[in-house]
Amino acid sequence: MIRPDAAQKAQWEAEGYLVFENAIQGEALKRLQTAFDYWADACKAEWLERVEAGEAAATFYDIPNPFEKDPVFIDIVDYPSYYGALMAFTDDELILLAPQVRTVAPWPVSYTGWHPDVPQSSPLHIKVQIYVNDVPSGCGEFAYVPGSHKPDAGPYTRPMRQESMPGHKTFPGKAGTAIMFNSYGWHVSMDNHSDVPRQSIILIYEKRTPGRVSPEQFAAISESCQTPARRQLFSLA
Amino acid sequence: MPRIDAHLHVFTKVSPEFPRETTPVCPAEREEPVEKLLAEMERHQIDQAVLVQIGGTSLAQHRYLLHCLRAYPGRFLGIGLIPPEHPRPADYMAELASYPGIIGFRLSEFGGPRDIFAKMDVREFKTYPIWCCAAERDYVLWLYPRAIDAHLLPYLIQEFPQVRVVLNHLGMTPGKGKFSWDEKGRPRVQVTGYNLAMHTTYRLARFENVTVHLSGQYAFSNADFPYQDLAGWHRNLLNDFGAKRLMWATDFPWILEDPGYGALTTVVEKLMPNLSASALADIMGGNAKRFLRFPDRHS
Repeated sequence: MIRPDAAQKAQWEAEGYLVFENAIQGEALKRLQTAFDYWADACKAEWLERVEAGEAAATFYDIPNPFEKDPVFIDIVDYPSYYGALMAFTDDELILLAPQVRTVAPWPVSYTGWHPDVPQSSPLHIKVQIYVNDVPSGCGEFAYVPGSHKPDAGPYTRPMRQESMPGHKTFPGKAGTAIMFNSYGWHVSMDNHSDVPRQSIILIYEKRTPGRVSPEQFAAISESCQTPARRQLFSLA
Repeated sequence: MPRIDAHLHVFTKVSPEFPRETTPVCPAEREEPVEKLLAEMERHQIDQAVLVQIGGTSLAQHRYLLHCLRAYPGRFLGIGLIPPEHPRPADYMAELASYPGIIGFRLSEFGGPRDIFAKMDVREFKTYPIWCCAAERDYVLWLYPRAIDAHLLPYLIQEFPQVRVVLNHLGMTPGKGKFSWDEKGRPRVQVTGYNLAMHTTYRLARFENVTVHLSGQYAFSNADFPYQDLAGWHRNLLNDFGAKRLMWATDFPWILEDPGYGALTTVVEKLMPNLSASALADIMGGNAKRFLRFPDRHS
């Protein structure tokens, strides 16, 4: 486990985000991309049926139950590049809430507007977004308002255009880049003006509170969670 | 500032003079005439309204709508329907709009790829001629898209920034098989708990020629009037579109029994209690007057 250094800790506190370039690389990245492509393709028809039925949004889709489809999706939850930072920032009380293995279509506007995920009254809530394909500028890259995670920040309002958000920073990146951010802060997906979908995985974590995740939620992957650390992470302990 | 009901329907009994389609909810003998509407409007201080065609797309089936517009000039504006397979929709639109008061047309399908990942060329969309005509002749497009069509909208709106667009009924996009009629004769649309429109139609706030109706709450809500479970949707619409691009409407006559016309005249202030007086006045009529170009009532 790689714990964050002093500079990373300081940036996390002040800015609310950390970027891990090449967090996943080489064969591990190829395997992740292969699994992503295979399952995204396999699940697309069903998603379109759900769109037609008004049960899913038309602008993006997630691979359902990814942990049960390929263990590569489990292995990135505690991937060494960023797992130590997650543990450090949650005082080693980290749990996973959910994965979103997400394909976002190019569209004239982004599929979402600027927003924080949770109020300050919630337990510390952290997301890690991993780019599975290259995400250049203008191609739906993640963006964040540094410092907006602090209780005394803002107030912020949602601008009509993504690029009009005061003080925001965009995060284009290569496949395998992981961006960790405090979800109290305001963030968004920028517009994607290319013809290439954005493929990324968003892992949603929280600092453990009793009963937050039931043991049943990840019971199906119990066999892949044999260590005490993993059982805690997936609320199986 | 006038108070304007920006979306409703009137119809009369089927007759040679006023033919229309019949349905279980609108059988031949049922009528919800304009005089009944006017009585409700008078009682609740509503000055003007938008009459939206119901009962068929042919010119003959529009006769009652055209009669109402002619009989009460300055009181109403009208929205027509286009026969889906019409070979020359622009000609049809021009003919219908030659009658006084017709300002636009209602659509629910756009005729483009169902898959957002497909190549998008709006010129190949089946409704492209309709949008061209609306752009050339300044017609309003009145939209209640199917869920499978929602992703097509920004391509069309981007191509035709001069076309005034009104998203009906909170910008919702009903899913296939999710529409029904309830025991009170009201449309019912089953929706997910998480409002998917946040990722489709609400994103159209970017385009300044797009407005949204605050109407149809009864069809989506799981609560009784004033439909507090939809307060968050209203807040989001206000945040995204602003008070200048929202228009109140009742969807008369479906609401006559429950909650009643008078109750619905208060739904905006109940669901958006922090609105300023001027913002409320805009939503209750000022925006419709400006955006749809209602005439001054007594001019």
